[in-house]
Amino acid sequence: MIVVHRLVRLLVVLVVVTFLSFALLNLLPGDPVTQILGLSATEEARAQLVRELGLDQPLLVRYLDWLGGLLGGDFGTSYITRMPVGGELAGRLPVTLELLVAAQIVALGLAIPVGVAAARRAGRALDQALTALSFALLSTPVFVLGVLLILVFAVTWQVVPATGWTPITLDLGWNLTSVVLPAITLGCGQFAVYARLLRTDLIATLQEDYITLARARGLSPRRILWRHALRPSAISLITAIGLNLGALIGGTVIIETLFGLPGVGRLIVDSIFSRDYLTVQGGVVLISVGYVVVNFAVDLVYAAVDPRIRRA
Amino acid sequence: MKRWRMPATLALAATVLLACSGQRPVEPGAPSGAPATGPAQGGRLIYALSADANGFNPVTDQFAAQSYSMSGTIIEPLVSVDADGGWKPYLAESLTPNQKYDEWTIKVRSGISFSDGISLTGDIVKANLEAQKRSPLTAAVFGPIESFELPDPMTVKVVLNQPWVAFPYYLAAQNGMIVPPSSLTDPKTASLKPVGTGPFLFKEYVPDNRMVVTRNPRYWRQGLPYLDEIEFRILPDSQTRAQTLEAGGVDAIGTSRDEDLTKFGALKDAYTVHRAGGMAVAEYMFLLNTAVAPLDDVRVRRALAYATDRKTVISTLRGGLTQPADGPWSKDSPWYAAGGYPDYDLAKATALIKEVEAEKGPISFELISTPDPNTMQGVELAQDMWRKAGVKVTIKQADQADLINRAITGNYAATVWTQFSAQDPDGEYIWMHQAYAKPVGAISLNMTRLKDAKLSAALDTGRTDPDPAARKSAYATVQERLRELVPYVFVDHLDTGAIIAKTKVRGIGEHVLPDGEKGLPLTGSPVPYHPFGQLWVSER
Repeated sequence: MIVVHRLVRLLVVLVVVTFLSFALLNLLPGDPVTQILGLSATEEARAQLVRELGLDQPLLVRYLDWLGGLLGGDFGTSYITRMPVGGELAGRLPVTLELLVAAQIVALGLAIPVGVAAARRAGRALDQALTALSFALLSTPVFVLGVLLILVFAVTWQVVPATGWTPITLDLGWNLTSVVLPAITLGCGQFAVYARLLRTDLIATLQEDYITLARARGLSPRRILWRHALRPSAISLITAIGLNLGALIGGTVIIETLFGLPGVGRLIVDSIFSRDYLTVQGGVVLISVGYVVVNFAVDLVYAAVDPRIRRA
Repeated sequence: MKRWRMPATLALAATVLLACSGQRPVEPGAPSGAPATGPAQGGRLIYALSADANGFNPVTDQFAAQSYSMSGTIIEPLVSVDADGGWKPYLAESLTPNQKYDEWTIKVRSGISFSDGISLTGDIVKANLEAQKRSPLTAAVFGPIESFELPDPMTVKVVLNQPWVAFPYYLAAQNGMIVPPSSLTDPKTASLKPVGTGPFLFKEYVPDNRMVVTRNPRYWRQGLPYLDEIEFRILPDSQTRAQTLEAGGVDAIGTSRDEDLTKFGALKDAYTVHRAGGMAVAEYMFLLNTAVAPLDDVRVRRALAYATDRKTVISTLRGGLTQPADGPWSKDSPWYAAGGYPDYDLAKATALIKEVEAEKGPISFELISTPDPNTMQGVELAQDMWRKAGVKVTIKQADQADLINRAITGNYAATVWTQFSAQDPDGEYIWMHQAYAKPVGAISLNMTRLKDAKLSAALDTGRTDPDPAARKSAYATVQERLRELVPYVFVDHLDTGAIIAKTKVRGIGEHVLPDGEKGLPLTGSPVPYHPFGQLWVSER
């Protein structure tokens, strides 16, 4: 039942989001015609292309036409490349997905031990250092961090390539090297958020009666922390993981441009600049579905993490 | 449960360390024993470009500099340009005009095949030119062409509706690039997988990531190409592009940043810097709409030119690396004519503005800029300089698509602009001739909408008169009229476009044309391009 409810909600979200983005894109001044034909095209050639692309049709007609195609699994054809948008997105999706997953691994891989250690020693040097580091990372734009990391790890130490992308199917090792810097750059900001959240929730949890009881029963501090306190303290963290997906996708746009990665974010930005409306629409659908699905998965994870929620 | 953790962790760490060791998977054809004295066969080049192509089909896809870099390794033109700026046959053996220059006979070079095995013949060249004539991309440029004929299997006759002296130059670009019949019948495939007669064969293309081409073993120019493989890597961010070169991730980059020229130029043992020059360089300017107030008044336009301190702009924006422009052609061009430009003189600017204000009231207008910081800095400089002369300028940001749309429809007063990099002055015909100036609201290729009979007559003479002296005189008149009427406030010649390469990359800008002439080193703007067939990689 909950799945049906979520699916209905997803459809409503999709229709609203895609219509708004379609309308907003069409409000932008400029059109794809100059991008396709160049400056030296005649007025007749431009008018013909406008007709061919259907840009002379009213906005609502074009939207419904696109929506009808989408229901049949057709994302439309790119104005610029004249290739199916679905195929273009499918080609870019693995890059962005890998980047997102790797960034989350970096963020969580650092945030959980650091957050736990800071909570355990709340107010002491490590905790204060974490606070300072968090603010530093949160206030550093990803493009600055990216350039700094390239300078240190690629230019000075030359341990990873500065830019470029090797698909995982071609060479796993080289794929890892091409994703490591972008993932660290993207994951650092998330690490700061996650570590702060976990620390705060853990400190609160460690004040709970059942923790006092566990201590009284003689359980070791490490066991109490990792077995009994961490799971119930992770709810805010899990919520943040779902909600931050939007911020992460926004970050991939910059990261993909900076590191020369052929992902969905870069495709969408390029398509906005070239007024390739249908490609942008396809990207919007993909992100909307991804966002809703991830947050649905987050809801399911709540119950797995904290049995009290399942019972409720 | 815990037993597997340690070995697994070690294995993962080992994989990551191995991957991070900088040892790229072995590529075929790595350079081997290149002699220090001359070009060596073999090797792989990684070449970073600032943007991806919109497609590789010269008939259907609009080509920018990066498109020429990539597709130029595979598809060749009928004509090329030599180091002196003159046109020379390439796939064509000869191009001969009739006495009136309203017919051109193109003799196709024999013994050339496309990589799909089809021989290059006159009917294929004719089919290509016909497709170009039909293409909406080039309809305006090929406007004077009446018809194509095939007098014999290796000859194409181009019949024009007016004399056209510089016609061959147009065949040195996208319009003259020849593809096989299969590409003409299947343009979609040709957009993604180009086929041609060129020194390299298409191997792989991943949009927004890379294009890989490999040596064409049956290339018609004996002994070429030298390289086995080229990977073009798309790296849009200029700073990371330069950092990737420093890190050794690529062998050469295209750039237009003055800091790259300064930095890499100082490291002569490690890098070579090749800058574009002459007619290939575009001009940075402010485009003025002469059809709307207040810029329909030539006194206001002249005042803006007087108020523009080009040297300050150049020292601020380009680190002093470029030269001031006073017209569409630089001083090292054979077409340049000196004198008459309203050079910086704030007193004259102020006096002119006061004169106009006395008649029409305060002068104010909107200046459009793209939002990137460097362009905005230039626009803000102009705003400040023009304010000192008494003009109130409001800056409006627009992205590239919006800015271009406004320019061609006349929905602007002034905008920042970069243009004029044709090899022959006739290449600027459609942008300046009054026949292409349309009213505000209509599409106008003459974006300043300046209608000047003298200027247009001079452009017509330059197009139709075969006498070099008459042409030179005509284009001197063009420059004189532009300086008199100021539809453009020129700032500088953008010759910061450059290719920066490791010193082991040889042959950039040193290619020789099929008949032995030295070719034009670099062309295109803002980042230049060059042929790759004669590039080679030395040991160091």
